[in-house]
Amino acid sequence: MAYHALAAVLLPLLAFVINCFIKGKATGWVSTIAILLSAVISIIVFSHTFNGGAIHLSRVWFTIGDTQLYAGLLLNNLSILMLLLVNLIALPVHIFSMAYMGHDQRYGRYFTCLSLFCFSMLALVVVDNMVLFYTFWELVGFSSYLLIGFWYKKEKAIQANKKAFIMNRIGDVGLLIAILVIYAQFHTFDLVKLFGQGGLVSQSFFKDGLWIAPGASIPAIWQYIACGGIFLAVCAKSAQFPLHTWLPDAMEGPTSVSALIHAATMVAAGIFLLGRVYPMFNTAELDALAFIGCFTAFMAATIALTQNDLKRILAFSTISQLGFMVMAMGINAYASSLFHLVTHAFFKCLLFLVAGVVIHEMQHVKDENQLDIDPQNILYMGGLRKRMPLTFIAAIIGGAALVGLPLTSGYLSKDGILIQAFEWSDTKSIGYKIVPIMMLITSWLTAFYVARLIFKVFFGKLRVLDVKPVVICHISDGGWQYRVPLILLSLCCLFPVFSLDPLLYEQSWLFKAFTTADHLERMNIYHTIIPAGLNILSIAVIYLAYAIYIQERKMLPFAQNNWAFDFSYNQWYFNKAYNTIFVKPVLALGSGLFWFDRKVVDGFIRLLQNILLWLSKVADVMDRYVIDGFLHLLTAIVQYIGNFVRSFQTGRVQYYLLSMLAVIVAWFIFKTLI
Amino acid sequence: MISLTHYLVVSAILFCIGLYVVLVKRNAIQILIGIEMMLNAAILNLVAFGQFDRHNNGGQMFALFAIVLAAATTAVALAIVLNVYRRYKTIDPDKVDQLKD
Repeated sequence: MAYHALAAVLLPLLAFVINCFIKGKATGWVSTIAILLSAVISIIVFSHTFNGGAIHLSRVWFTIGDTQLYAGLLLNNLSILMLLLVNLIALPVHIFSMAYMGHDQRYGRYFTCLSLFCFSMLALVVVDNMVLFYTFWELVGFSSYLLIGFWYKKEKAIQANKKAFIMNRIGDVGLLIAILVIYAQFHTFDLVKLFGQGGLVSQSFFKDGLWIAPGASIPAIWQYIACGGIFLAVCAKSAQFPLHTWLPDAMEGPTSVSALIHAATMVAAGIFLLGRVYPMFNTAELDALAFIGCFTAFMAATIALTQNDLKRILAFSTISQLGFMVMAMGINAYASSLFHLVTHAFFKCLLFLVAGVVIHEMQHVKDENQLDIDPQNILYMGGLRKRMPLTFIAAIIGGAALVGLPLTSGYLSKDGILIQAFEWSDTKSIGYKIVPIMMLITSWLTAFYVARLIFKVFFGKLRVLDVKPVVICHISDGGWQYRVPLILLSLCCLFPVFSLDPLLYEQSWLFKAFTTADHLERMNIYHTIIPAGLNILSIAVIYLAYAIYIQERKMLPFAQNNWAFDFSYNQWYFNKAYNTIFVKPVLALGSGLFWFDRKVVDGFIRLLQNILLWLSKVADVMDRYVIDGFLHLLTAIVQYIGNFVRSFQTGRVQYYLLSMLAVIVAWFIFKTLI
Repeated sequence: MISLTHYLVVSAILFCIGLYVVLVKRNAIQILIGIEMMLNAAILNLVAFGQFDRHNNGGQMFALFAIVLAAATTAVALAIVLNVYRRYKTIDPDKVDQLKD
């Protein structure tokens, strides 16, 4: 079975390699067929090995000194579930993308990147050691970067993918530190040895300020540092506070990318990491996780209340639901957190695909009428339920699952988390009660913004007619490639896929697979009050939204233009804060260094340059006046002598005779004198 | 009496005058006259010393030869002067200085 899983992982890689060399519509089919085969194989693997023992295969990869690094597969319940989930989400997205990106010029490149992403995500969930985990963690981040900036000619897309990559990098640093600390303490990278039943991590403990493990001990601070690193990685990948600002901006990419990566799979990688290293955390760290998750969920829900961009509402909704999952991990509701991960993947992907269809149709309206509207803005939509009935039904199902209404899968997972939150806070001091209460409030806020979204988009009248009264509208549901994914995903948002009992989450096969045995017996009052209260008030909140947005009664409890609205609309000013605290100083440092380089460094070079020029001038003068002067002097002397001697050659015969006479007389005088 | 020395002095004076004429005069004919005068001085010297060779009369013979040669030289020199005049239109030796540097 392990080799089947390996095949499922490698098929998208094969598609990636093939797509690098071919162009045109064939790339879409290659990727989709690869994912289809991968999905089929995952189903086979799932049916044979889920709830069986874990399968662990590894081989030595390479050796450095005494250390050996292994490469291998680990197929426990978590891996197999994620393998199946990723494939089942990727398949509808591929089918949808074939139509959605059909007119794009870089269609081939899109499917290449998409296949690369699918390969990295599938590989991430099945590897068995931390080194390979880190590799594919980074590769997933990189594929996300490629896909967010797919329309690279848009300035905003480039800013968004840069932001996403940098924030993910911060998380990567955290993960690396954590891996190194764990290795320093336990001397192994293997996930089974570290985190399995009775593994090395669960055998380690604190004593006298030291972190003691079988074979080594280091100061206890390192355990906190390692967990801090893991937190950082989770915050970056799963968009928790404080590293959440990249996810709303990542909506600049194509909607099908948002559906796959930023709703269902990549952002779930953080939760997956938590699931893998769960035995590592002690109580204090788990409490910290709970608070971070709770705060993020609440914050994102408040922001989603006022946003007008369709995809941004869904992005903040994703952040909020991921906060639910992180919080669930923190309160020891491991099974519920993973359950929520799976159900969230389905309904969020569904909602994003719905958004994709709606935006696509609004884009048609914009192009055919040359309007200057933003096709993603919900203020221009309305009344689409009559024109796109299938999409409307899909949106209703997805929205209901997100709110957590009964008979949907979301009800099972979300209510499970809330019930366990109340049970957990009972075991702690009174201050911890704030977590479940905030989560309740968040759930009602979720109901409100989902209802607002659906009412504004699908009910009422088409508000783009307010801009231009006569509008040619060919809005419809789209071809089979849009409908079939929506239908498939809608079916998975309903309860029968997960549990035969629509009201009891403990009966779900998924929940039972991850929980330890005796948890099921503790039925207390929370198990009835919470679902009842939550859902009744959710329905009340939905009715409130209906009243406000459709019937337009002035029942809004808060005014539209006070500080609370602005705070929410501007995303709690996080972007501005990060810009001022981090971005501007770095840019200022950059300009400062540029100034330094230009003035000081280049100035120094110019100084040397000037010295050399001056030296060369001196040499020039020396050469011209001294050396050449000496030569000129010599020639002048020779010339003078020559002129002097030449003066004797007058050409006058008598002069010659006279000189001959003079010489002879001188000779005789000379002879007689000596 | 008139000794040998008197003849030699006269010959020397004649030679010097002839030399002076050759060196100073601006006319080629006058230079020829000077040359003649120098030749004559030499002939006088020859005759003066001829008194010691009464047996062969070597001095007298040599003097006759020299006179003839002087005449021949003058003839040739005059031919040259004529050609010089034809070419340079002057017989002033100072003006015929084409061989100067």
